[in-house]
Amino acid sequence: MKPVLVIARRELAATFDSPIAYIAATVFLIATGLMFFFGIDGGEDFFEARQATVRPLFDSAPWVLAVILPAVTMRLVAEEKKSGTLELLVTLPVSDLEIIIGKLLGAMGFLVVALALTAVFPLLVLQLGSPDIGAIVGGYLGLFLIGTTFLALGVMTSTWTHNQIVAFILGLLLCIFFWTATDALIKLAFERPPMALTLLTFKQQFASFSKGVIDLRNIIYFASVIAVAVAASTWTLRSRNWK
Amino acid sequence: MAHKDAQRDGTSAGAVIQIRDLQKSYGDFQALKGISFEVRRGEILGLLGPNGAGKSTTMKILTSFISASSGSVTVDGLDLFREPIETRRRIGYLPESTALYTDMVVYDYLVYCGEMRGFTRKECDERIAKLARRVGIVEKLSASIGTLSKGYKQRVGLAQALLHNPPIVILDEPTSGLDPNQIVEIRELIKELGKDHTVILSTHILPEVRQTCDRIVIIHRGNVVADGTIEEIEGKMADEHELIVGLQLADGDGEKARTALAAIAGVRKAVIGYQVHAPVTHLHFTVSASRDVRPDIARYASEAGHTVIELRRKSMDLEGIFQHLTSDR
Repeated sequence: MKPVLVIARRELAATFDSPIAYIAATVFLIATGLMFFFGIDGGEDFFEARQATVRPLFDSAPWVLAVILPAVTMRLVAEEKKSGTLELLVTLPVSDLEIIIGKLLGAMGFLVVALALTAVFPLLVLQLGSPDIGAIVGGYLGLFLIGTTFLALGVMTSTWTHNQIVAFILGLLLCIFFWTATDALIKLAFERPPMALTLLTFKQQFASFSKGVIDLRNIIYFASVIAVAVAASTWTLRSRNWK
Repeated sequence: MAHKDAQRDGTSAGAVIQIRDLQKSYGDFQALKGISFEVRRGEILGLLGPNGAGKSTTMKILTSFISASSGSVTVDGLDLFREPIETRRRIGYLPESTALYTDMVVYDYLVYCGEMRGFTRKECDERIAKLARRVGIVEKLSASIGTLSKGYKQRVGLAQALLHNPPIVILDEPTSGLDPNQIVEIRELIKELGKDHTVILSTHILPEVRQTCDRIVIIHRGNVVADGTIEEIEGKMADEHELIVGLQLADGDGEKARTALAAIAGVRKAVIGYQVHAPVTHLHFTVSASRDVRPDIARYASEAGHTVIELRRKSMDLEGIFQHLTSDR
Protein backbone atom coordinates (compact mmCIF):
# COMPACT_ATOMS: atom_id res chain seq x y z
CA MET A 1 0.00 0.00 0.00
CA LYS A 2 1.20 3.49 -0.80
CA PRO A 3 2.35 5.53 2.23
CA VAL A 4 -0.32 8.14 1.49
CA LEU A 5 -3.01 5.52 1.91
CA VAL A 6 -1.35 4.05 5.01
CA ILE A 7 -1.44 7.49 6.61
CA ALA A 8 -5.04 8.06 5.47
CA ARG A 9 -6.18 4.75 6.95
CA ARG A 10 -4.45 5.43 10.27
CA GLU A 11 -5.92 8.92 10.51
CA LEU A 12 -9.41 7.67 9.71
CA ALA A 13 -9.10 4.99 12.38
CA ALA A 14 -7.72 7.52 14.89
CA THR A 15 -10.56 9.93 14.08
CA PHE A 16 -13.18 7.31 14.87
CA ASP A 17 -11.23 6.24 17.96
CA SER A 18 -11.88 9.65 19.46
CA PRO A 19 -15.27 10.89 20.66
CA ILE A 20 -14.89 14.04 18.59
CA ALA A 21 -15.88 12.19 15.43
CA TYR A 22 -19.14 11.00 16.99
CA ILE A 23 -19.93 14.37 18.53
CA ALA A 24 -19.22 16.11 15.22
CA ALA A 25 -21.34 13.64 13.24
CA THR A 26 -24.22 13.97 15.73
CA VAL A 27 -24.09 17.76 15.69
CA PHE A 28 -24.02 17.65 11.91
CA LEU A 29 -27.09 15.43 11.65
CA ILE A 30 -29.13 17.32 14.24
CA ALA A 31 -28.27 20.77 12.88
CA THR A 32 -28.88 19.89 9.24
CA GLY A 33 -32.05 18.04 10.26
CA LEU A 34 -33.42 21.07 12.10
CA MET A 35 -32.61 23.37 9.23
CA PHE A 36 -34.01 20.89 6.73
CA PHE A 37 -37.35 20.37 8.44
CA PHE A 38 -37.94 23.73 10.08
CA GLY A 39 -36.10 26.07 7.74
CA ILE A 40 -34.07 27.77 10.44
CA ASP A 41 -31.68 29.24 7.89
CA GLY A 42 -34.34 31.52 6.40
CA GLY A 43 -35.85 28.66 4.42
CA GLU A 44 -39.37 27.37 4.44
CA ASP A 45 -40.74 24.77 6.78
CA PHE A 46 -40.39 21.42 5.01
CA PHE A 47 -43.91 20.28 5.82
CA GLU A 48 -45.60 23.53 4.92
CA ALA A 49 -43.64 24.08 1.73
CA ARG A 50 -45.01 20.78 0.41
CA GLN A 51 -42.18 20.54 -2.12
CA ALA A 52 -40.24 17.41 -2.94
CA THR A 53 -36.82 19.03 -2.74
CA VAL A 54 -33.62 18.49 -0.77
CA ARG A 55 -32.37 22.01 -1.38
CA PRO A 56 -32.74 23.24 2.20
CA LEU A 57 -30.18 20.58 3.15
CA PHE A 58 -27.67 21.88 0.66
CA ASP A 59 -28.23 25.48 1.70
CA SER A 60 -27.74 24.78 5.37
CA ALA A 61 -25.09 22.03 5.46
CA PRO A 62 -22.03 24.22 4.59
CA TRP A 63 -22.69 26.27 7.73
CA VAL A 64 -22.55 23.19 9.89
CA LEU A 65 -19.56 21.75 8.05
CA ALA A 66 -17.63 24.99 8.60
CA VAL A 67 -18.06 24.45 12.34
CA ILE A 68 -17.56 20.70 12.74
CA LEU A 69 -14.82 19.96 10.21
CA PRO A 70 -12.12 22.11 11.90
CA ALA A 71 -12.84 20.03 15.03
CA VAL A 72 -12.01 16.90 13.05
CA THR A 73 -8.83 18.29 11.48
CA MET A 74 -7.47 20.17 14.52
CA ARG A 75 -5.51 17.19 15.86
CA LEU A 76 -4.04 16.00 12.57
CA VAL A 77 -0.69 17.78 12.75
CA ALA A 78 -0.92 19.78 16.00
CA GLU A 79 -1.21 16.64 18.12
CA GLU A 80 1.84 15.05 16.46
CA LYS A 81 3.80 18.23 17.04
CA LYS A 82 2.84 18.36 20.69
CA SER A 83 3.44 14.69 21.50
CA GLY A 84 6.62 14.52 19.41
CA THR A 85 5.41 11.70 17.13
CA LEU A 86 5.94 14.04 14.19
CA GLU A 87 9.66 13.35 14.46
CA LEU A 88 9.24 9.67 13.61
CA LEU A 89 6.64 10.41 10.95
CA VAL A 90 8.74 12.89 8.99
CA THR A 91 11.87 10.74 9.27
CA LEU A 92 10.08 7.86 7.52
CA PRO A 93 10.75 7.68 3.78
CA VAL A 94 7.73 9.80 2.84
CA SER A 95 7.62 13.34 1.54
CA ASP A 96 5.99 16.17 3.45
CA LEU A 97 3.40 16.47 0.68
CA GLU A 98 2.49 12.79 1.05
CA ILE A 99 1.99 13.31 4.79
CA ILE A 100 -0.37 16.25 4.26
CA ILE A 101 -2.35 14.52 1.51
CA GLY A 102 -2.60 11.33 3.58
CA LYS A 103 -3.96 13.25 6.54
CA LEU A 104 -6.40 15.16 4.35
CA LEU A 105 -7.62 11.90 2.78
CA GLY A 106 -8.18 10.41 6.23
CA ALA A 107 -10.29 13.42 7.23
CA MET A 108 -12.19 13.14 3.92
CA GLY A 109 -13.16 9.66 5.04
CA PHE A 110 -15.01 11.26 7.95
CA LEU A 111 -16.66 13.76 5.60
CA VAL A 112 -17.94 10.95 3.38
CA VAL A 113 -19.38 9.13 6.39
CA ALA A 114 -21.03 12.32 7.67
CA LEU A 115 -22.54 13.09 4.27
CA ALA A 116 -23.72 9.50 3.91
CA LEU A 117 -25.63 9.85 7.17
CA THR A 118 -27.68 12.72 5.71
CA ALA A 119 -28.92 10.37 3.00
CA VAL A 120 -31.99 9.90 5.21
CA PHE A 121 -33.27 13.31 4.05
CA PRO A 122 -33.26 12.63 0.29
CA LEU A 123 -34.54 9.11 0.97
CA LEU A 124 -37.44 10.60 2.89
CA VAL A 125 -38.17 13.06 0.11
CA LEU A 126 -38.04 10.19 -2.39
CA GLN A 127 -40.75 8.44 -0.38
CA LEU A 128 -42.95 11.51 -0.37
CA GLY A 129 -42.55 12.73 -3.93
CA SER A 130 -40.30 12.69 -6.94
CA PRO A 131 -37.41 15.09 -6.46
CA ASP A 132 -34.84 15.93 -9.14
CA ILE A 133 -32.17 13.23 -8.79
CA GLY A 134 -29.67 15.35 -10.70
CA ALA A 135 -30.07 18.14 -8.18
CA ILE A 136 -29.40 15.73 -5.33
CA VAL A 137 -26.24 14.38 -6.97
CA GLY A 138 -25.06 17.92 -7.76
CA GLY A 139 -25.78 19.08 -4.23
CA TYR A 140 -23.84 16.24 -2.67
CA LEU A 141 -20.90 16.83 -5.00
CA GLY A 142 -20.94 20.48 -3.93
CA LEU A 143 -21.02 19.54 -0.25
CA PHE A 144 -18.16 17.11 -0.78
CA LEU A 145 -16.08 19.80 -2.51
CA ILE A 146 -16.76 22.58 -0.03
CA GLY A 147 -16.31 20.11 2.84
CA THR A 148 -12.91 19.04 1.49
CA THR A 149 -12.00 22.72 1.14
CA PHE A 150 -12.86 23.28 4.81
CA LEU A 151 -10.81 20.19 5.74
CA ALA A 152 -7.82 21.46 3.76
CA LEU A 153 -8.06 24.80 5.57
CA GLY A 154 -8.30 22.93 8.87
CA VAL A 155 -5.22 20.82 8.08
CA MET A 156 -3.41 24.04 7.25
CA THR A 157 -4.19 25.68 10.60
CA SER A 158 -3.26 22.42 12.33
CA THR A 159 0.27 22.69 10.90
CA TRP A 160 0.62 26.18 12.34
CA THR A 161 0.53 25.25 16.01
CA HIS A 162 1.00 22.44 18.50
CA ASN A 163 -2.17 23.50 20.31
CA GLN A 164 -5.29 21.75 19.03
CA ILE A 165 -7.66 24.39 20.39
CA VAL A 166 -5.76 27.13 18.59
CA ALA A 167 -5.84 25.03 15.41
CA PHE A 168 -9.60 24.57 15.81
CA ILE A 169 -10.37 28.24 16.40
CA LEU A 170 -8.18 29.41 13.53
CA GLY A 171 -9.72 26.78 11.25
CA LEU A 172 -13.22 27.74 12.31
CA LEU A 173 -12.52 31.44 11.70
CA LEU A 174 -11.05 30.74 8.26
CA CYS A 175 -13.93 28.51 7.19
CA ILE A 176 -16.60 30.93 8.44
CA PHE A 177 -14.70 33.83 6.89
CA PHE A 178 -14.50 32.23 3.47
CA TRP A 179 -18.03 30.83 3.63
CA THR A 180 -19.86 33.96 4.66
CA ALA A 181 -17.71 36.95 5.52
CA THR A 182 -16.20 37.39 2.05
CA ASP A 183 -19.69 37.64 0.63
CA ALA A 184 -20.82 40.10 3.27
CA LEU A 185 -17.68 42.23 2.97
CA ILE A 186 -18.07 42.57 -0.76
CA LYS A 187 -21.68 43.64 -0.33
CA LEU A 188 -20.58 46.16 2.28
CA ALA A 189 -17.77 47.55 0.15
CA PHE A 190 -19.64 47.94 -3.10
CA GLU A 191 -23.10 49.21 -3.84
CA ARG A 192 -23.06 47.16 -7.00
CA PRO A 193 -20.45 44.48 -6.41
CA PRO A 194 -18.34 43.69 -9.47
CA MET A 195 -19.31 40.34 -10.93
CA ALA A 196 -15.71 39.07 -10.95
CA LEU A 197 -15.34 39.61 -7.21
CA THR A 198 -18.68 38.06 -6.27
CA LEU A 199 -17.86 35.03 -8.35
CA LEU A 200 -14.75 34.41 -6.25
CA THR A 201 -16.66 33.80 -3.01
CA PHE A 202 -17.35 30.29 -1.70
CA LYS A 203 -21.04 31.05 -1.52
CA GLN A 204 -21.32 32.03 -5.14
CA GLN A 205 -19.25 29.06 -6.25
CA PHE A 206 -21.35 26.70 -4.17
CA ALA A 207 -24.68 28.19 -5.24
CA SER A 208 -24.94 26.43 -8.57
CA PHE A 209 -24.27 23.03 -6.95
CA SER A 210 -27.19 23.49 -4.59
CA LYS A 211 -29.35 24.32 -7.60
CA GLY A 212 -28.20 21.04 -9.09
CA VAL A 213 -25.90 22.49 -11.73
CA ILE A 214 -22.54 20.78 -12.02
CA ASP A 215 -20.18 23.25 -13.62
CA LEU A 216 -16.54 22.32 -14.22
CA ARG A 217 -15.50 25.88 -13.38
CA ASN A 218 -16.89 25.54 -9.86
CA ILE A 219 -15.09 22.24 -9.43
CA ILE A 220 -11.81 23.79 -10.60
CA TYR A 221 -12.35 26.70 -8.23
CA PHE A 222 -12.65 24.51 -5.13
CA ALA A 223 -9.86 22.20 -6.32
CA SER A 224 -7.60 25.26 -6.60
CA VAL A 225 -8.39 26.44 -3.07
CA ILE A 226 -7.70 22.91 -1.77
CA ALA A 227 -4.39 22.82 -3.68
CA VAL A 228 -3.31 26.17 -2.20
CA ALA A 229 -4.16 25.03 1.33
CA VAL A 230 -2.30 21.73 0.82
CA ALA A 231 0.72 23.57 -0.57
CA ALA A 232 0.70 25.99 2.37
CA SER A 233 0.47 23.09 4.85
CA THR A 234 3.36 21.28 3.16
CA TRP A 235 5.40 24.43 3.24
CA THR A 236 4.82 24.88 6.97
CA LEU A 237 5.71 21.25 7.65
CA ARG A 238 8.88 21.54 5.58
CA SER A 239 10.04 24.66 7.36
CA ARG A 240 10.11 22.80 10.66
CA ASN A 241 12.91 24.00 12.82
CA TRP A 242 11.44 23.22 16.17
CA LYS A 243 13.58 21.11 18.41
CA MET B 1 22.05 1.04 -10.17
CA ALA B 2 25.58 0.74 -11.57
CA HIS B 3 25.86 4.47 -11.30
CA LYS B 4 24.86 4.43 -7.66
CA ASP B 5 27.33 1.67 -6.83
CA ALA B 6 30.13 3.62 -8.46
CA GLN B 7 29.11 6.63 -6.41
CA ARG B 8 29.21 4.59 -3.27
CA ASP B 9 32.70 3.27 -4.02
CA GLY B 10 33.84 6.85 -4.42
CA THR B 11 33.55 7.53 -0.70
CA SER B 12 36.58 6.98 1.48
CA ALA B 13 37.17 3.36 2.39
CA GLY B 14 34.75 2.08 4.97
CA ALA B 15 33.04 5.38 5.72
CA VAL B 16 29.29 4.93 5.60
CA ILE B 17 28.51 8.43 6.85
CA GLN B 18 30.65 11.49 6.14
CA ILE B 19 29.86 14.76 7.85
CA ARG B 20 31.69 17.85 6.61
CA ASP B 21 31.64 21.25 8.27
CA LEU B 22 28.07 20.89 9.44
CA GLN B 23 26.55 24.05 10.88
CA LYS B 24 23.15 24.68 12.38
CA SER B 25 21.77 27.88 13.84
CA TYR B 26 18.51 28.43 15.67
CA GLY B 27 18.12 32.17 15.28
CA ASP B 28 21.13 33.67 17.04
CA PHE B 29 22.09 30.44 18.74
CA GLN B 30 24.69 28.38 16.91
CA ALA B 31 23.98 24.79 17.90
CA LEU B 32 26.62 23.32 15.56
CA LYS B 33 29.67 25.37 14.66
CA GLY B 34 31.02 23.30 11.81
CA ILE B 35 31.49 19.70 12.87
CA SER B 36 33.15 17.03 10.74
CA PHE B 37 33.52 13.33 11.38
CA GLU B 38 33.06 9.97 9.71
CA VAL B 39 31.27 6.83 10.70
CA ARG B 40 32.77 3.59 9.43
CA ARG B 41 30.75 0.66 8.25
CA GLY B 42 29.93 -1.81 10.99
CA GLU B 43 31.16 0.21 13.95
CA ILE B 44 29.32 1.41 17.02
CA LEU B 45 30.03 5.10 17.34
CA GLY B 46 29.31 6.91 20.58
CA LEU B 47 28.40 10.56 20.32
CA LEU B 48 29.32 12.12 23.65
CA GLY B 49 28.84 15.52 25.10
CA PRO B 50 27.15 17.38 27.93
CA ASN B 51 23.47 18.21 27.60
CA GLY B 52 22.93 20.81 24.91
CA ALA B 53 26.27 20.15 23.21
CA GLY B 54 24.72 19.41 19.83
CA LYS B 55 24.38 15.60 19.88
CA SER B 56 20.65 15.54 19.25
CA THR B 57 20.88 18.32 16.67
CA THR B 58 23.45 16.24 14.76
CA MET B 59 21.19 13.19 14.89
CA LYS B 60 18.10 15.15 13.87
CA ILE B 61 19.99 16.39 10.83
CA LEU B 62 21.25 12.89 9.97
CA THR B 63 17.68 11.59 10.03
CA SER B 64 16.48 14.66 8.05
CA PHE B 65 14.08 15.77 10.74
CA ILE B 66 15.61 19.22 10.61
CA SER B 67 17.75 20.87 7.97
CA ALA B 68 21.30 22.11 8.38
CA SER B 69 22.35 25.72 7.91
CA SER B 70 25.42 24.69 5.92
CA GLY B 71 27.80 21.81 5.37
CA SER B 72 27.40 18.42 3.73
CA VAL B 73 26.46 14.92 4.79
CA THR B 74 26.72 11.77 2.72
CA VAL B 75 24.99 8.60 3.83
CA ASP B 76 26.01 5.43 2.03
CA GLY B 77 27.30 7.62 -0.80
CA LEU B 78 24.06 9.59 -1.09
CA ASP B 79 23.82 13.33 -0.52
CA LEU B 80 21.53 13.63 2.49
CA PHE B 81 20.19 17.03 1.49
CA ARG B 82 19.53 16.06 -2.14
CA GLU B 83 18.09 12.59 -1.55
CA PRO B 84 16.46 12.71 1.88
CA ILE B 85 13.90 10.00 1.08
CA GLU B 86 16.52 7.52 -0.18
CA THR B 87 18.77 8.09 2.83
CA ARG B 88 15.84 7.66 5.22
CA ARG B 89 15.32 4.16 3.80
CA ARG B 90 18.82 3.24 4.98
CA ILE B 91 18.40 4.61 8.47
CA GLY B 92 16.52 3.36 11.50
CA TYR B 93 15.95 6.05 14.12
CA LEU B 94 15.05 6.04 17.78
CA PRO B 95 14.49 9.66 18.83
CA GLU B 96 15.29 10.87 22.30
CA SER B 97 11.61 11.39 23.07
CA THR B 98 10.55 7.91 21.87
CA ALA B 99 7.17 9.47 21.12
CA LEU B 100 4.88 6.77 19.70
CA TYR B 101 1.17 6.84 18.91
CA THR B 102 -0.17 6.04 22.36
CA ASP B 103 -3.64 5.26 20.99
CA MET B 104 -2.35 2.34 18.92
CA VAL B 105 -1.78 -1.30 19.79
CA VAL B 106 1.91 -2.28 19.55
CA TYR B 107 1.34 -4.77 16.74
CA ASP B 108 -0.78 -2.38 14.67
CA TYR B 109 1.79 0.35 15.17
CA LEU B 110 4.60 -1.85 13.88
CA VAL B 111 2.46 -2.91 10.90
CA TYR B 112 1.82 0.78 10.24
CA CYS B 113 5.56 1.51 10.31
CA GLY B 114 6.27 -1.46 8.04
CA GLU B 115 3.62 -0.47 5.53
CA MET B 116 4.90 3.10 5.56
CA ARG B 117 8.24 1.62 4.53
CA GLY B 118 6.62 -0.22 1.67
CA PHE B 119 6.25 -3.75 3.05
CA THR B 120 3.19 -5.86 2.42
CA ARG B 121 1.07 -6.99 5.33
CA LYS B 122 2.58 -10.49 5.10
CA GLU B 123 6.14 -9.16 5.15
CA CYS B 124 5.26 -7.02 8.16
CA ASP B 125 3.90 -10.06 10.02
CA GLU B 126 7.10 -12.03 9.40
CA ARG B 127 9.39 -9.18 10.35
CA ILE B 128 7.47 -8.33 13.50
CA ALA B 129 7.47 -11.98 14.61
CA LYS B 130 11.27 -12.09 14.33
CA LEU B 131 11.91 -8.66 15.81
CA ALA B 132 9.54 -9.02 18.74
CA ARG B 133 11.63 -11.92 20.01
CA ARG B 134 14.86 -10.00 19.45
CA VAL B 135 13.84 -6.89 21.38
CA GLY B 136 11.73 -8.78 23.90
CA ILE B 137 8.22 -7.47 23.31
CA VAL B 138 6.48 -10.72 22.33
CA GLU B 139 4.12 -10.61 25.31
CA LYS B 140 3.30 -6.92 24.73
CA LEU B 141 2.33 -7.08 21.06
CA SER B 142 -1.38 -6.80 21.75
CA ALA B 143 -1.02 -4.13 24.43
CA SER B 144 -1.89 -0.50 23.80
CA ILE B 145 1.27 1.61 23.54
CA GLY B 146 -0.14 4.10 26.03
CA THR B 147 -0.16 1.45 28.77
CA LEU B 148 3.49 0.41 28.35
CA SER B 149 6.30 1.25 30.76
CA LYS B 150 9.13 3.47 29.60
CA GLY B 151 11.34 0.43 29.07
CA TYR B 152 8.85 -1.32 26.82
CA LYS B 153 8.14 1.88 24.89
CA GLN B 154 11.87 2.11 24.28
CA ARG B 155 11.85 -1.45 22.92
CA VAL B 156 8.89 -0.74 20.66
CA GLY B 157 10.82 2.31 19.45
CA LEU B 158 13.79 0.06 18.79
CA ALA B 159 11.62 -2.47 16.95
CA GLN B 160 10.30 0.33 14.78
CA ALA B 161 13.86 1.45 14.03
CA LEU B 162 14.98 -2.07 13.07
CA LEU B 163 11.89 -3.18 11.16
CA HIS B 164 13.35 -2.52 7.73
CA ASN B 165 16.73 -3.99 8.70
CA PRO B 166 18.53 -0.71 7.95
CA PRO B 167 22.30 -0.64 7.45
CA ILE B 168 22.48 2.36 9.79
CA VAL B 169 20.81 2.65 13.18
CA ILE B 170 20.72 6.00 15.01
CA LEU B 171 19.80 5.89 18.67
CA ASP B 172 19.41 9.15 20.62
CA GLU B 173 20.05 8.39 24.30
CA PRO B 174 18.67 4.87 24.09
CA THR B 175 19.08 4.14 27.79
CA SER B 176 17.80 7.38 29.30
CA GLY B 177 15.01 6.92 31.79
CA LEU B 178 15.46 3.16 32.07
CA ASP B 179 16.09 1.22 35.26
CA PRO B 180 19.48 -0.48 35.73
CA ASN B 181 18.25 -3.89 34.53
CA GLN B 182 16.68 -2.43 31.44
CA ILE B 183 19.85 -0.45 30.73
CA VAL B 184 21.92 -3.65 30.78
CA GLU B 185 19.45 -5.36 28.43
CA ILE B 186 19.35 -2.48 25.95
CA ARG B 187 23.16 -2.28 25.99
CA GLU B 188 23.41 -5.98 25.20
CA LEU B 189 20.98 -5.44 22.36
CA ILE B 190 23.03 -2.54 20.99
CA LYS B 191 26.22 -4.62 21.09
CA GLU B 192 24.35 -7.36 19.28
CA LEU B 193 23.20 -4.80 16.68
CA GLY B 194 26.78 -3.76 16.08
CA LYS B 195 27.48 -7.14 14.50
CA ASP B 196 25.51 -6.40 11.35
CA HIS B 197 24.57 -2.72 11.53
CA THR B 198 26.40 0.55 11.76
CA VAL B 199 25.22 2.11 15.01
CA ILE B 200 25.45 5.71 16.16
CA LEU B 201 24.30 6.31 19.69
CA SER B 202 24.38 9.41 21.82
CA THR B 203 24.78 9.40 25.54
CA HIS B 204 26.25 11.25 28.43
CA ILE B 205 26.69 8.12 30.48
CA LEU B 206 30.39 7.33 30.26
CA PRO B 207 30.54 3.68 31.39
CA GLU B 208 28.03 3.00 28.63
CA VAL B 209 30.50 4.20 26.04
CA ARG B 210 33.29 2.00 27.32
CA GLN B 211 30.98 -1.01 27.32
CA THR B 212 29.34 -0.58 23.95
CA CYS B 213 31.23 1.73 21.62
CA ASP B 214 34.09 1.01 19.22
CA ARG B 215 34.84 4.67 18.73
CA ILE B 216 33.75 7.96 20.25
CA VAL B 217 33.26 11.51 19.06
CA ILE B 218 33.02 14.10 21.81
CA ILE B 219 31.02 17.21 20.98
CA HIS B 220 31.13 20.32 23.11
CA ARG B 221 29.36 23.60 22.40
CA GLY B 222 28.80 22.68 18.77
CA ASN B 223 32.38 21.57 18.07
CA VAL B 224 34.06 18.17 17.84
CA VAL B 225 36.67 18.20 20.61
CA ALA B 226 37.82 14.57 20.36
CA ASP B 227 37.46 11.78 17.81
CA GLY B 228 38.94 8.30 18.04
CA THR B 229 38.86 5.01 19.88
CA ILE B 230 38.82 5.22 23.66
CA GLU B 231 42.45 4.04 23.72
CA GLU B 232 43.52 6.66 21.18
CA ILE B 233 41.87 9.48 23.05
CA GLU B 234 43.25 8.32 26.38
CA GLY B 235 46.69 8.08 24.78
CA LYS B 236 46.51 11.60 23.42
CA MET B 237 45.55 12.90 26.80
CA ALA B 238 48.55 11.19 28.42
CA ASP B 239 50.72 14.23 27.70
CA GLU B 240 48.69 16.11 30.22
CA HIS B 241 48.43 14.18 33.45
CA GLU B 242 48.34 14.42 37.18
CA LEU B 243 50.60 13.00 39.84
CA ILE B 244 49.85 12.29 43.43
CA VAL B 245 52.93 13.05 45.48
CA GLY B 246 53.10 12.14 49.16
CA LEU B 247 56.05 13.50 51.14
CA GLN B 248 57.04 13.15 54.77
CA LEU B 249 58.62 16.54 55.23
CA ALA B 250 61.95 17.00 56.97
CA ASP B 251 61.12 20.53 58.15
CA GLY B 252 57.29 20.44 58.16
CA ASP B 253 57.09 23.49 55.89
CA GLY B 254 54.45 22.47 53.37
CA GLU B 255 54.35 25.74 51.47
CA LYS B 256 58.12 25.66 50.88
CA ALA B 257 57.88 22.13 49.49
CA ARG B 258 54.97 23.14 47.28
CA THR B 259 56.93 26.05 45.81
CA ALA B 260 59.88 23.77 45.15
CA LEU B 261 57.67 21.24 43.37
CA ALA B 262 56.03 23.94 41.27
CA ALA B 263 59.48 25.15 40.20
CA ILE B 264 60.42 21.82 38.59
CA ALA B 265 60.55 22.14 34.79
CA GLY B 266 57.41 20.75 33.20
CA VAL B 267 55.23 21.15 36.28
CA ARG B 268 52.31 23.39 35.59
CA LYS B 269 50.73 23.43 38.98
CA ALA B 270 51.32 21.97 42.41
CA VAL B 271 48.52 22.01 44.94
CA ILE B 272 48.56 20.80 48.53
CA GLY B 273 45.99 18.04 48.66
CA TYR B 274 45.55 16.63 52.13
CA GLN B 275 47.61 16.01 55.21
CA VAL B 276 47.93 12.99 57.40
CA HIS B 277 49.15 13.66 60.96
CA ALA B 278 49.40 10.23 62.49
CA PRO B 279 51.70 8.54 63.12
CA VAL B 280 53.92 11.13 61.43
CA THR B 281 52.90 14.17 59.44
CA HIS B 282 53.01 13.91 55.72
CA LEU B 283 51.60 16.02 52.94
CA HIS B 284 50.01 14.97 49.70
CA PHE B 285 50.29 17.18 46.63
CA THR B 286 48.51 17.06 43.32
CA VAL B 287 50.93 17.95 40.57
CA SER B 288 49.86 18.63 36.94
CA ALA B 289 52.67 18.03 34.50
CA SER B 290 53.20 17.95 30.77
CA ARG B 291 56.11 15.44 30.92
CA ASP B 292 57.15 12.67 33.23
CA VAL B 293 58.62 14.55 36.22
CA ARG B 294 58.73 11.64 38.66
CA PRO B 295 62.58 11.32 38.62
CA ASP B 296 62.89 15.06 39.27
CA ILE B 297 60.54 14.89 42.20
CA ALA B 298 62.42 11.93 43.68
CA ARG B 299 65.72 13.78 43.29
CA TYR B 300 64.34 16.93 44.92
CA ALA B 301 62.93 14.94 47.83
CA SER B 302 66.22 13.21 48.60
CA GLU B 303 68.16 16.47 48.32
CA ALA B 304 65.78 18.25 50.71
CA GLY B 305 65.72 15.32 53.11
CA HIS B 306 62.01 14.47 52.64
CA THR B 307 60.82 10.90 52.50
CA VAL B 308 58.72 9.90 49.51
CA ILE B 309 55.57 8.16 50.76
CA GLU B 310 53.70 8.10 47.49
CA LEU B 311 54.53 8.96 43.90
CA ARG B 312 51.68 7.87 41.71
CA ARG B 313 50.66 8.86 38.22
CA LYS B 314 46.93 9.27 37.94
CA SER B 315 45.87 7.95 34.56
CA MET B 316 43.34 10.11 32.81
CA ASP B 317 40.29 7.93 32.32
CA LEU B 318 37.34 8.65 30.10
CA GLU B 319 35.59 10.58 32.85
CA GLY B 320 38.66 12.72 33.34
CA ILE B 321 38.99 13.34 29.62
CA PHE B 322 35.34 14.19 29.32
CA GLN B 323 35.54 16.66 32.17
CA HIS B 324 38.78 18.06 30.87
CA LEU B 325 37.42 18.65 27.38
CA THR B 326 33.95 19.81 28.23
CA SER B 327 34.34 21.86 31.37
CA ASP B 328 34.15 25.60 30.89
CA ARG B 329 37.23 26.87 32.62
